[in-house]
Amino acid sequence: MPDIFISQKKEEIKKEESPVQKEVKEMLGETNTKKEKKSYIASYLRRPKGIKFETKDSQEKIELLLRMHPITNLKWILITVLMFFVPALLKQFPILDFLPKNYQLVISVGWYLVIFSYALENFLTWYFNVYIITDERIIDVDFYNLIYKDVSEAEIEKIQDISYRMGGVIRTLFNFGDVFIQTAAEKPNFEFLAVPRPDKVAKLLQELKVQEKQEELEGRVR
Amino acid sequence: MGEISFIGIPVWEIAKFFVLFGLLIYVVFSFVIVRQVKLMIDTLQVGYEGLIRFFSYVHLLFSISFFVFAIIIL
Repeated sequence: MPDIFISQKKEEIKKEESPVQKEVKEMLGETNTKKEKKSYIASYLRRPKGIKFETKDSQEKIELLLRMHPITNLKWILITVLMFFVPALLKQFPILDFLPKNYQLVISVGWYLVIFSYALENFLTWYFNVYIITDERIIDVDFYNLIYKDVSEAEIEKIQDISYRMGGVIRTLFNFGDVFIQTAAEKPNFEFLAVPRPDKVAKLLQELKVQEKQEELEGRVR
Repeated sequence: MGEISFIGIPVWEIAKFFVLFGLLIYVVFSFVIVRQVKLMIDTLQVGYEGLIRFFSYVHLLFSISFFVFAIIIL
């Protein structure tokens, strides 16, 4: 029996991307040429899944999650490693020998506890201080010294000016810098400090701004 | 060791008091870390919450155990 209708194969149905679309995707780091392994401890997460924050709207999509470049942790990691070897160093110089053995033991264990809490505090501060760019707004989550919390946000349409700064050997070598955003929101200035690929972040914000304007012209809410 | 005294109190008793006081402050600090981790996780869920919570509780448990241990051995 002859076939009346033969559907096209799925591969054929897929629309080919225009060169402009490809270029934009390349700029934003969305191409599949380099398959990046998405890790939650990464500092540049494009369209991450499973990430939630307090004020997230159910329809809101996270476009980018940023935190300070991992290299900025080098200082506290080095201090932690150095502090770790201090008790071994002190054994060479009998400074604490005048103390009874039980006091020496308490001081040693206490020292390692302090090191652990120092490392934990620094890691937590780095890990939870994030900058989130969604399709609707930008959010800056800051925790200071485990005591203070500061969450600021501004709608994309209220962004007025975006600039970024890169400079210095380390920053150029590891490709990270600061992104400055001026808004007409309650908080006039947003600073995304030491974030990776600041040029791409600025480009993405520009794209989202244009997209928002287009939506506004078309009368769409989202 | 107990022969040295300061206004009639053996000096090692004073030292013990200060060490235990410091460790007590540290236990309070560990509680603050646990609370803060909870606050951070409530604010933002970016993965590894379980592991981070686990570390904060282990830290608290260890600091309490160490405080008790110090009371016993000092």
